[in-house]
Amino acid sequence: MTRSWFTKLSVLVMACVLVLSACSSGGSSKSGNADGANVSGNNAGGSDQSGGSGNSGGGSSSGSTDDPFGGWIEGLPKIEAPEGFDWRQFEGITLNVITENTPPSSGLAAHIDVFEQATGIKVNIEQVNLDIVVEKAGLDFNARNANYHIIYADPYQILAKQAQHFVDLNELNNDPTLPSIPGGLEDFIQSQLIVGGYMGNTDHLYALPYDNPTMILAYRKDVFEKYKDLFMQEKGYDWTPGPEMTWDQYYEIAEWINRKAKEGVITEVKYGTGHQAKQHDSLMNDFSNVLASFGGDYFEAPNIGDIGAENPGKSKLTEPEAIEAAEFYAKLLSIAAPGSTTWDWTGLAEAFAAGEIALAPEWHEFAGMFEDPSKSRVAGKVSWTILPKGPKGRGNMYGGTSIGINKYASEDEIRAAWLFLIWATAPQTQYMILDAGFTPTRYSVYQLPYIQTAINDPNSQEFKEWPLAASLAAAQEAWKEENVYMRPKTPLWPQIDTIIYTELSKMLAGRQSPADTMKEIAKQSDRLTGN
Amino acid sequence: MEQAAIRPLKRRAKWNRTEFWMLLPSVIVLAAITIFPFFFMIYASFMDYRLDMDHPRFAGLENWQNTLTDETFWQSWGRTVVYAGGGLILQLLLGTGIALLLYHIPKFRNLFSTLVMLPVFVAPIVTGLLWRFLLDPTYGFYHWIVRQLGFDVQILGDPNFAMLAVIFMDVWEWTPLVTLIVLAGLQTVPEEPLEAADVDGANAWQKIFLVMLPMIRRMIVVALLIRSMDILRYVDTIVITTEGGPADATKTIGYYLMQVAFRFQDIGSAAAVGLTMLVVSTLMGRFFIKVLKAEEA
Amino acid sequence: MQLKKYSINTALYALMLLCLIWALSPILIMLMSSLKTQVNMFEMPPKLFFAPTFESYREMFFGRGDFPRFLKNSLMVSILTTIVCLFLGVMGGFGLARGGFKREKDISFWIISTRMAPIPAVILPLYLIFSKLQLIGTTTGLILAYTTFNLPFALWMMTTFFKDVPADLEEAAMIDGCGKFRAFWRIVVPTASPGIVATAVLCLMFAWNDYLFASIFTNRQTQTIPIAVSLLVSQSGIKWGQAMATGTVIITPMLICGLLVRKYMVRGLSMGAVK
Repeated sequence: MTRSWFTKLSVLVMACVLVLSACSSGGSSKSGNADGANVSGNNAGGSDQSGGSGNSGGGSSSGSTDDPFGGWIEGLPKIEAPEGFDWRQFEGITLNVITENTPPSSGLAAHIDVFEQATGIKVNIEQVNLDIVVEKAGLDFNARNANYHIIYADPYQILAKQAQHFVDLNELNNDPTLPSIPGGLEDFIQSQLIVGGYMGNTDHLYALPYDNPTMILAYRKDVFEKYKDLFMQEKGYDWTPGPEMTWDQYYEIAEWINRKAKEGVITEVKYGTGHQAKQHDSLMNDFSNVLASFGGDYFEAPNIGDIGAENPGKSKLTEPEAIEAAEFYAKLLSIAAPGSTTWDWTGLAEAFAAGEIALAPEWHEFAGMFEDPSKSRVAGKVSWTILPKGPKGRGNMYGGTSIGINKYASEDEIRAAWLFLIWATAPQTQYMILDAGFTPTRYSVYQLPYIQTAINDPNSQEFKEWPLAASLAAAQEAWKEENVYMRPKTPLWPQIDTIIYTELSKMLAGRQSPADTMKEIAKQSDRLTGN
Repeated sequence: MEQAAIRPLKRRAKWNRTEFWMLLPSVIVLAAITIFPFFFMIYASFMDYRLDMDHPRFAGLENWQNTLTDETFWQSWGRTVVYAGGGLILQLLLGTGIALLLYHIPKFRNLFSTLVMLPVFVAPIVTGLLWRFLLDPTYGFYHWIVRQLGFDVQILGDPNFAMLAVIFMDVWEWTPLVTLIVLAGLQTVPEEPLEAADVDGANAWQKIFLVMLPMIRRMIVVALLIRSMDILRYVDTIVITTEGGPADATKTIGYYLMQVAFRFQDIGSAAAVGLTMLVVSTLMGRFFIKVLKAEEA
Repeated sequence: MQLKKYSINTALYALMLLCLIWALSPILIMLMSSLKTQVNMFEMPPKLFFAPTFESYREMFFGRGDFPRFLKNSLMVSILTTIVCLFLGVMGGFGLARGGFKREKDISFWIISTRMAPIPAVILPLYLIFSKLQLIGTTTGLILAYTTFNLPFALWMMTTFFKDVPADLEEAAMIDGCGKFRAFWRIVVPTASPGIVATAVLCLMFAWNDYLFASIFTNRQTQTIPIAVSLLVSQSGIKWGQAMATGTVIITPMLICGLLVRKYMVRGLSMGAVK
């Protein structure tokens, strides 16, 4: 009895050992070829510009002052170092990067050998969910540790609270013994640099823009073309979504589509509009678009949306604009696809990709997924424009993030991390990682003919290689100051955000009226901020 | 006579020392990793302590006052009673029922019990994702079935159904564990009382309720104890599916704590909330163990 | 009579079938979905017959999913945790069961109550200890973190089991000239082995399934499978294909382990009930 039991146990242990050893060998043989495949797949065989981007072998002649990374192409600012700068002086240092699993992170991870070969610095890019990034960065700072040298500095959940733990990048950028940012700070899209880089004032620069998802309007161009005349007949105006569309028209159109779909006239979709209205950060985002376009905002402190403020001041949600916005939002959601209260941005994107809805305010980064036939039934049928305007303008929610350096790292680690930041945000690197679904944060990259063609010509080879381009004309429009909406940047934002989306969720469940909801949020957030 | 009484005592004392040394490493390890966190929680609960602060400040009873006067805190406990109570009762009934079924099934008992056991091996985070997939309004199979049956409801998007859904996720995942433990208990029920019952002309139901269940009460309590410890703490499925919503319908105390600790990074309040959870768990544990001891006597 | 028995059996099998449908249909759907493309996965009603694609598995094992690393970490951490906790738990459980300590009840309640600590509240203190000891991001750190819930569990289970092993056995062995320690390893442990196996499987399962501790105490090199699963949910969508494939694979080692020792598990768990 005992004997047989031990036999079985030992068989089990042996099996585990076998699996373990198989895994480790599989792992090591794998890492090489995955990276290789990615590099060769990058923009391969496309336009003439892409020739430079495949350069991962890296001409890393040590001691050279200029750009050891390769991949520079005509039209972009160059990575330059002071005379005699040794790019390999930090050889042997290991840098740990913690970041959300967003497109630039996977893009950089896939091409990290370019940086490692040129500098001899080893980089671990750890990709986790945003809440884990926030928690781990908080723990690291709290213990005055530098387990992570480079941190994904979400402006609202990390930078607003912990700016004092980041290295002032101005000092590194102005250090004559170090390379400086290629193209200078002015090459970053300015609104993104301000919200992602500073806190409270613009004296210290804490982080550089890294990604920039923004909410714009996705719509089914097949539906809007096919039923254009019918709608014109019944309602008397051209319904094609564009900068002139108002929220009231949006509501009317969505309702009309609902009705026609029910009658069986429209068969392509089931519902007019869908929203990301789950009790989740996404609900605050979706509501803010409406709030801003009605002229409302959350707090009264000036500049709270760009450089941020320690004290946000009193809540503005009791003002008539906010209440009007909440009433409209509740009305809009009552005719939205019923799944809306279940969906965050992912659920909404999946429903849109499954062909359920005609209109959706959605993050522009989903354009790539919509054009991917293995994930979407609507590939080739989607267009993007900026969100409708309200009585007082427009709000396209911005959700970008920057990366910065942990100040508790050693002097050498900080300088090595600076080299990484230079490379990771350099225009030529941004161009190299486009295939990961990346959206550039640099003006100069948008000037490239390759990018221009991709954005403007949906039939081009460039577009096929980089389908995200479908949303970028609208996204660029959305980033303009008069169109973008930036949420309050203040240390207590995570709590305030939670109050906002929780109370909004109660409103959508019919538990409280829009006016009461706004008053409740104002009451709770004023109590929290002490105003 | 006297000698005989003394000898085992002596040996006992000798064993005693060995046993002390055997227990000591465990106690040291356990103390090292649990005592500091415990006292830290007590300390933090009296401090104004957010993760982004340079130095925590003494705050007296502020955290306790804020926590105990927070409506959401009490509502979360209320929902926890529904969630844990509903989940435990369903798991217990279903688990015992399935165990009895397996016990009585004439053939393929091993095959069936193995198959029924599968969900327990799915990690809670996968369970959450899987059920999110099954209940999605666009492509969820279960949602589709519900709609085919003529109910057009948003399962995870409606406060009335979301709680039911997360309870069912927990029940799906953990009923097999209860089944396993109860089945183990059933196999120890000796033949004689059952035969005696047969002689007395008892039917199958009477045998189950009057003979078998009383004999395995202890195993049922063991299962309850294990499950009740975890159902308060584990929120993986809620985190993946509803995140406490809609309209706070699924915000249990475990999720509330997670929000305060991770999202708000308010260590002081998190410690206060955590301590209330610890007290409730401990009381529940004491109660179940008392029941266990009563069974033994 | 015969007919009645027949109909009762039919009813039993019908009930069993219902239970199986309830327990297995999510898993079957997971398995099927892992072999479909995302577009096909979303089809309602789901197709039962389709041309399977192994793309998700290929991506998981050989693509950017980097699954083998996660698998290795998960196996290593959960097996090592189980070994450590069981080793300590078997000794300590025996000590507690036989020691006749004065405050045995209090000690045993303290032990089980340490398992009840709410994880989000103890993460910061544990983090502070671990960072002093340079254990953040290491396998050792994660094993230690899992010890906080698996050691009390193992101790508690083993105490119950050893109370059921009659003390005569080891006393007889000692009279035969065995050392106390040898008597324990040679006689008591083998007798309690089914209980040990049952405890081991449950410890393994708790460690294998944990997400919260792993999310904080691991880094890129030491991340485990539940972290891999959480990474499939990202800003730009959920990778359902890989989620389903990972879900299918994550069951397999536990399932094999469960099947191998199932008989002992039932016997082991029932030991505690034998009076």
